[in-house]
Order: sequence, then structure tokens, then C-alpha cells
Amino acid sequence: MIEKDIAVIGGGPAGMASALKASENADVIILERNEELGGILPQCIHDGFGNFIFNRSVTGPEYAQHFINEIEEKEVDVRTDTTVLSIDENKKIIASNPDGILEIKAKAIILAMGCRERTRNQILIPGTRPAGIYTAGTAQRLINVEALMPGKRVVILGSGDVGLIMARRFALEGAYVEGVYEIMPFPGGLIRNVVQCLEDYGIPLHLSHTVINISGRKRLDGVTVARVDEKLKPVKGSERFIPCDCLILAVGLIPENELSKKIGLDIDKRTLGVIVDEGMETSVPGIFACGNVVHVHDIVDDVTISAERAGEGALKYIRKGYAHNEEIRVIPGKNVRYVVPQILRRKDFDKITFYFRVVKEEKNVSIKISDENDVIFERRERVVTPSEMIKVEIHSSLIYERSAKQLRIDVIGDE
Amino acid sequence: MWCGILERKKLSDKKILKKAVKVAKKNGFDNVEIKVEDRVVYLTGRVNLWEDFLKIGSLTGKIKGVRGVVNNVDYPGKKRRERKKGRNEKIGEADVVIIGAGVVGCFIARELSKYNLKIILLEKAEDVACGTTKANNAMVHTGIGEKMGTLKQKLCVKGHKMFDKISQELNIPYKKCGMLILTTKETLSNYKIPSFISNFICRFIIPFILIRRGKKLGIFMEKIGRKKLLEKEPNLTRDVISGVYSPTYGITCPYLLTIALAENAVENGVDLLLNTEVVGIDVENGRVKSVLTDRGFIKTNFIVNSAGLYADEIAEMAGVREYTIHPKKGSTIIFDKETGNYINHSITFLKFPRVEHYKGGGIMLTVDGNIQWGPTIVEVEDKEDTSVTAEEIEHILKYYSHLLPNFPKNKVIAYFAGVRASTFTEDFFIEASKKVKGFIHVAGIQSPGLAASPAIAEMVVRILKNEGLFMKRKKNFNPYGRQRIHFRELNIEEKKRLVEKNALYGRIVCRCEEVSEAEIVDAIHGKIPAFSVDAIKRRTRAGMGRCQGAFCLPRIVSIISRETGIPPEKIVKDGKDSNLFAGRAKCFLEEKND
Ligand SMILES: Cc1cc2nc3c(=O)[nH]c(=O)nc-3n(C[C@H](O)[C@H](O)[C@H](O)COP(=O)(O)OP(=O)(O)OC[C@H]3O[C@@H](n4cnc5c(N)ncnc54)[C@H](O)[C@@H]3O)c2cc1C
Ligand SMILES: Cc1cc2nc3c(=O)[nH]c(=O)nc-3n(C[C@H](O)[C@H](O)[C@H](O)COP(=O)(O)OP(=O)(O)OC[C@H]3O[C@@H](n4cnc5c(N)ncnc54)[C@H](O)[C@@H]3O)c2cc1C
Repeated sequence: MIEKDIAVIGGGPAGMASALKASENADVIILERNEELGGILPQCIHDGFGNFIFNRSVTGPEYAQHFINEIEEKEVDVRTDTTVLSIDENKKIIASNPDGILEIKAKAIILAMGCRERTRNQILIPGTRPAGIYTAGTAQRLINVEALMPGKRVVILGSGDVGLIMARRFALEGAYVEGVYEIMPFPGGLIRNVVQCLEDYGIPLHLSHTVINISGRKRLDGVTVARVDEKLKPVKGSERFIPCDCLILAVGLIPENELSKKIGLDIDKRTLGVIVDEGMETSVPGIFACGNVVHVHDIVDDVTISAERAGEGALKYIRKGYAHNEEIRVIPGKNVRYVVPQILRRKDFDKITFYFRVVKEEKNVSIKISDENDVIFERRERVVTPSEMIKVEIHSSLIYERSAKQLRIDVIGDE
Repeated sequence: MWCGILERKKLSDKKILKKAVKVAKKNGFDNVEIKVEDRVVYLTGRVNLWEDFLKIGSLTGKIKGVRGVVNNVDYPGKKRRERKKGRNEKIGEADVVIIGAGVVGCFIARELSKYNLKIILLEKAEDVACGTTKANNAMVHTGIGEKMGTLKQKLCVKGHKMFDKISQELNIPYKKCGMLILTTKETLSNYKIPSFISNFICRFIIPFILIRRGKKLGIFMEKIGRKKLLEKEPNLTRDVISGVYSPTYGITCPYLLTIALAENAVENGVDLLLNTEVVGIDVENGRVKSVLTDRGFIKTNFIVNSAGLYADEIAEMAGVREYTIHPKKGSTIIFDKETGNYINHSITFLKFPRVEHYKGGGIMLTVDGNIQWGPTIVEVEDKEDTSVTAEEIEHILKYYSHLLPNFPKNKVIAYFAGVRASTFTEDFFIEASKKVKGFIHVAGIQSPGLAASPAIAEMVVRILKNEGLFMKRKKNFNPYGRQRIHFRELNIEEKKRLVEKNALYGRIVCRCEEVSEAEIVDAIHGKIPAFSVDAIKRRTRAGMGRCQGAFCLPRIVSIISRETGIPPEKIVKDGKDSNLFAGRAKCFLEEKND
């Protein structure tokens, strides 16, 4: 049995940042199932990381390396090639690696398992099941890490940042990208990426379109695409068959919460991630979470920053513990899809950052945070879009001074 | 005596012909010519639509006394398959050649390996269990759902009882999870009858008929009232009226069973030739002489035709086609293991009028803890049509959802289709050919072919004996399959011991199903080696979980490559032409520069 103050599960940017913070004052272990630290970053060889933290844009591997170096310097106990199999409510962890089965007892645990990709089955695309269909992240790993080309004539479904970046990646590799198809009437990713990844390479973006059939017996031989109406249902007569040998699905990420569910942590139906408070503590005392297990982030810098909070939270917990009594619920209001943290527990943090996304794009809005009686915070914003996470940082005293039981965040347009 | 039999046969042929002509006329099939020989109906001529082709086949198949229907009727757009060329080189000699390594062929091979015989099992795919056997619902039916008096029912009832022993011998999963056959408000909703009457029928008459049927077949079943049902299955619809509980209904894993059968057969001396397609059969003096394949020919005295969907084409090669296979697709949706505790038994409900030759499907447990909904039943033109259509997905999600109103239907992890090898007589066709000695038909093995497979194998052995195959039992037959290790099923102490013995057990490759690297390496070097990603998946479940291989695929590819020396870019998903990759990175750029 290994005894530790804090065990961190997952060694991506979230796990590393939280571990670094926690190791300032505690004995920490990181458990990572890959052979190296960095999570998803080592395969993200494009730049666009670190704009906030380093004030310049670096690649994924560079971003990761910065933290890996620090972890090495601090001599944090890192176990790679180690998969966590289970965690129980007494914070006993069972993990497995080629050296044996580890049993670890920790005073606090930080979950940082990241997310996984939605598959063609979860969005119910009909058709056959040939070779040549990959999720974008898998394709990215295949090309950038394994040096294998998933296909030569490619259709990409989904225009989130991951889909856009993969379109460019395929084009750079000399594959033919027939187009990017997006079921919504607007692109899912950043405008910057639409320009830099598609327009610069002459790759067409088909909005309000989706793939309605997959064909091919052994290897994919084509997909059928169709336009969709306002209800996102395919329009009869608009079908078009596209011969291709590769379909890339960039249709969303889902927080990886199999372990969390086994412990019985509360999950948010909106984010599909674990519910956390302002100190990133979950519904079980002493178990914390950060990064993409909480909600899917578009920018890694936000992951790092919020993960430090989890590290801090865990440190505070092992020093004095928190009772889970008085809670303030944070409710997504008008045009708000979700908010993290979902609850506040009046912990001693000076500042609280709310992360949230809107349901639909709107211009000239005001963001309002209110309790049962008053608006306690207001900010103007020129544009809000579903693809960009909004952050609002406020002084916790603004909230704690009140006897609120509930807070609401609304995004209200000027009619 | 002989004359008497011939006389009777001729008589019945005449009768059948008369009836068939009448049926054809009545339904407007004037351009269809009908011949009857030895109670097999031969149809030729032309119709306008594929649907008509099916219709005339089914109509004649239903005539009493008909053994088989060979439907050679043409219709516009009918596809003709080109037969591959054979190679004229002798590659073997055997007492018995079995064609097709599905569950049926493998079971027969294993059964025959109990005797001192030289047996060759041929399979065109690169692995066993690649046909219908890999895509079914894994139910070990009791036989209650089959038409009374059919061969498939008889063999199913018998086969079901043999599953305890075979699963123990071969170390494969088999669970008697039990089945609830329900009547609900939907059962008679297609009829305009007062609700007190339909209620009465659902509550008393239907369970009574089912239980009586069970008694006749020796299948124990009991009636369960609504209250008890809701206790047994708290998530069940409140619209349930009554039900019958069949506690011995089972589930298994069809590919693990088939792989274990094949491995055990090989262990006991059977030669399994994969990647070997039968393209012709030589007949001399009314007796089979050899089997021609794309790799060479094999001399033999007996051929067992268990080629599934292609059994009719194989029979044709020997000139003894007595049936036409008309493929019927079935699609199934599989849900996340997270939903596995939602029900405690497999569940089906009766709906009238019933779709012909269709047990109706249901919501079924699997041995791995997933739940499946389905299957559908759809006639398809193409034997390889395993596409799942939008209509099917919609139908399945709608048709069964009233049974479990709050089931999390968004937890789909996969859907797939399998194709049933049905004949127009809609029954198994298992007999020795009378025209060509040594040719044994094992055709039309639609559902419940899996459940019936042990009994089919036994029957085929008996037929071979009757046909003059000299059979002497081996003294050293080893009936036991080896224990396949599934890391996820072990407790922590067992896991510790394993990792100590072999470090690769400690490295988890498939995170969703908790499959270790050692299991994958073991599959690659198994008695029947797995070289493709799907072959590994069938043996270990790697890639069968909720991420569907998104995470483990690159790892599995590199393990296969490391263990076999196949370059990673050449690794396939499931056999020939299913290449996973288009080449190495940068290869297209190099092409352009050349
Ligand atoms: C294709 C792509 C492109 C992106 N591009 C950008 C960009 O340009 N700019 C930007 O700022 N951000 C970008 N991001 C977003 C950013 O990289 C992610 O939000 C961030 O990596 C999430 O960090 P994480 O630590 O939560 O998860 P991850 O990086 O996924 O790390 C989770 C780690 O946990 C490990 N783990 C999981 N389960 C277990 C277990 N049971 N036992 C042990 N270990 C486990 C995993 O192996 C993994 O290493 C991109 C993301 C993707 C996918
Ligand atoms: C959707 C669906 C659900 C079902 N559910 C159940 C169930 O729950 N319970 C049950 O009991 N039954 C079920 N069945 C039926 C069951 O799957 C089949 O009866 C059984 O798998 C048939 O096995 P087989 O060996 O005859 O055929 P197959 O598995 O198709 O094997 C035939 C083999 O022959 C090979 N072959 C063909 N031509 C050649 C050639 N020329 N040369 C060499 N090899 C050749 C093929 O490649 C194939 O591997 C279901 C079927 C379907 C489609």
C-alpha cells in the first residue's frame, strides 16, 4: 500500500497543473496511463496554445514540456504506463502497470482524466461499418504520433476546432479534403480556425449539412450528405453521394467519467462532467476534479488555471477539511447552457471564476449574475457564441456576504 | 418396396405442381415456369420486380410437402455473381471436407474430431465466425418461439439442452438469464375489440397457450401476473398485462463459442484452412470427388456444406441445388454497460398479427453486461448487405421503448446487422443429397441456428454414418477448451499474481473494457491467430466498449505489428481489402514529388 497526501489521476495539462500546485505543500503522486505525461497535448503539434499563460503561442508538445520539466524539477512521484482501475469512497485507488498492481491510499484525490470523443454510433449515422472511419483525435494521433495516414480522400463531419485543425492536417499531408460538413448553421470552432485551417487551404465548409449514410463493405467507399432543416432533419432531395475512403468525425467530446460514476459522484446533465464547487471539490469530500472531466475546454490555458485551483482546494482540504453543509446553487439562466462551478460552498477563496457557455450566438449582451433578490454583478459583451467559453471572475465576498441560496447567470441581449 | 416409395413421391410431386401452378396463376405470375422434382420446386421465368421474385418463392415454399424451392426467376437488375477461378494443384486429401467455419461448420468439425478421421475445414474469410455467426443476438433459445413441427424447432429444443455441457467443456460464457414473454396493451392494439376482451386474451389465453406449448416440448415455463412482473422488473411499463417466464432461456457469446470450437477441433487434429474459398466441386460417377478452392483442390469422399448464406451456391457447384437462400437482414442496437442493470431478464412482448418467421426480437441481456434491442427483419437482395438504415434505427428505438419507458436510449454504443440465410421453406435443410453421394446439405440455418448448433452437429454425424463414413472413436480426444483469461473479470489478488507472472497483464490497452496487452498478445499467438483488429476484438473485447476503439486502435495496431512483423500501414480491420490506413504519413507528398 502506497500512502500519499494527494493522488492525481491523469497526467494531462489539468493533472500536471493541479499536481504542481499541490506539491508546494504536500506529497503528491500522478498516475497516468500513457507512456508519457501531457495528455492530449503531445499529438497537438499545431500552435495556438499558451496565449494566456506564456503570452505567446506555442505548440501542444511545447506547452506540455514546460510543465513536464517543472514536475521533474519538483520531483513529483509520477507513474506513467499506469491505469487507474478503481477508486473507492475511502480514497483507496487501485491502479495497474507492468510492474504490478498498485494500491494507493490518499487523503485527497484529484480527477483529471480528460475526455473522450463521441463516435458515429452516438450520433446514429446509419450505414455499414467499414474501415476508414475515425474520430478526429484518433486520426490526429495516427498521423502525428504513429505516422500513419487514415485516408486519402477525406470528408470531415463537424466544424469544431478539432475538425478544422484536422482538415488542415490532412491537406498538409497531401490528402484531398472534400469538405467539412457541419449540421448547425454556424461553424463550431473559432473563426480564426475557419480562416486559417479551411479558407487558406481552399477547403469548403458546408453549414447545415450532415452525413446521413456510410457505405462500403470492407473499406469506406463513400458517404451520403444532405442539407438539414431548422429542426436538423435531413431535407429530402438534397442528398449527395461523395466517394471517399475516409470519414473523420469531430462531433464532440464527452468528459471521461467512468471512474467518477463508479464512486458515485454527482454528474451534471448539461456538461456531462462531474459537479464541482469553487474549490473544484466534487460531491464526495476530498475528491476534486479539473480539466476536461469537469467540462470540455477549448483552450488549454483555462485548463491549467482552473486545475491550479483544484490543487489549492485539495491542499486546503487535507489541512483542515471542509464540511459540506451550506451550499449555494449556481443555475444557468437565460441563454446559458451550463455553468461551472455548479455549487458554491463558501470556501475561503478570494476570487471565484465562473466558466460558462451560451446556447446561441448574440450581439451586445449583458452578463448578469444575480441571487434571489438582486443583480450582484454585470458586464457587457459585444459578441457571445456557443463555441467560446465565457469567464467571469468576481470577488467571493460579493457572494458570501449575502445569504443567497441560489445564484443565476443570465446573458441578456438588447432586444 | 422401392417402387412404392417412388410412386408416392411422383404422386406428391404431381400434387405439389398442381398447387404451385394454381398459386402462381392466382397471384398473376404467368411468366413463371414451375417444375417439381423429388418435392423440390424449381422456378424459372421472369417477373418485373425483386419483390415478386420473393413473393413467388415464399408462396411456393408454403405448399405442404415441399422440401425446397429453387428460385431461378429473373427480374430486372438481378445481380449475377462471378465465380472465382480455382487453382489446379492438389493441396490436401481428407475423409470429410467441411465448407464454412461459422458456428455450424465449427461445431460439426469439433464433433467429427472425436473420431479417427482426416478432416479439413475450409473458410474463405481470414478468421472463423466472420459470417452470420458474428452478428446475431447470442440467444440460446429454448425453441418455444419456433413454428411447431419444424426441424429448426426440434433441433433448437435439443441444442438448448446441450449448452450447459458444451460451455463448461470449452470454457465459454453461458448464462441462463431467463426470458419474460409479455403481453401488454400493445399486444392486440391492431384489432378493434373491446378492451375487456383483449385484456382477457392477454391475461389468460395467450399465457395458457404458451405454457401448453412448452409442456409439449418439455420446456418449463410459468405464468406470472402483473404484480409479480413489476416486482421482478421494476423498470417495466405499467402497461404490461401478463407474462410467461422461461427460466432456462440462455445467452452466450457466439464468436467466443465458435473460436473455442474451432480451436478445440484443431487441437484434436482438424485442419483449418482460412483464406480458402471453395469455387467448385468435382463429382464423378454420382459421388463427390474433390473440392476446388482458390488455392488448390482437396480430394475427399464427403463434403459438408455449411456455407451459410452461400450454401445454395455451393450446392449448385455440385449440381444439387435444392434451395435458394433469400437473405434476411436483422439489425440490433447495443447499449452501454451502464444500462446493464436496467433489467434482470431478457424481455420480449407479443404483438399480433405476427410477422411471419420472426420471433419478434426484444430487449436482451448479453453475457458481457450490455443490453441489446432488436433485431429487425428485412428482406435484402444482397447477401452482404449489413448496413443499418435510419428507418431500422428509428423502428427499433420506437418499437421496444414502450416496454421500458424510462430507458436511457441515448446510451447507444453500437449497432450492427447480420444476415439470415433463409430458404423459402423457412426451415433448416439438413440431409444427404440423394443425387450426389457424399454431399451433405446443412443449409437454411437461420435463427435459431446458434442455439441449435450442437444438435445440428450431432445430426450431421449421424447422417455421415448412415451414408457410409467409417467412424471410429478416438481414444485421446480432448474435449476441453483452454481457459481464456479476461483481466477485467479477476479479483485484485488474481490480478496481482498474473502481473507478477507476465508484466503485460499490467498494461491496460483498452480502457473501456479493461483489456490488457497480454490478452492481445495471447490472441495474436492463439491456436487460430488473430492478425486483424476485429479478430482481436472478438477474442478480447478490445474496442467493443463505449469509445469503440478510438483510444486503443493505434495501440493495437502497433502491438500487432510488433508481434507479427506486418508493417503497421498494412494492418487490416477485418480481412482482405479492409486496410485501416492509406499509407505512412508523408506518402502522398512523396507521390506528388515523384
Ligand atoms: C485535437 C485537439 C486540438 C486542440 N487544440 C487546442 C489549441 O489549439 N489551443 C488550446 O489552447 N487548446 C486546444 N485543445 C484543448 C486542450 O488541449 C484540452 O482541453 C486539454 O488538453 C484538456 O486537458 P486535460 O488534462 O483535462 O485532459 P487530457 O489532456 O485529455 O489528459 C487526461 C489524461 O488523463 C489520463 N487518464 C485518463 N484516465 C486515466 C486513468 N483511468 N488512469 C490513468 N490515467 C488516465 C489520460 O491518459 C490523459 O493523459 C485541443 C484539444 C484537442 C483534442
Ligand atoms: C440478426 C440475427 C440475429 C440472430 N439471433 C440469433 C439468436 O439470438 N440465437 C440463435 O440461435 N440464432 C440467431 N441467429 C441465427 C444464427 O446467427 C445463425 O443461424 C448462425 O450463425 C448460422 O451459422 P452458420 O455457421 O450456418 O453460418 P455462418 O456463420 O454464416 O458461416 C458460414 C461460413 O461459410 C463461409 N463460406 C461461405 N461461402 C464459402 C466458400 N465458397 N468457401 C469457403 N467458405 C465459405 C462464410 O465465410 C462463413 O464464415 C440470428 C441471426 C441474425 C442474422
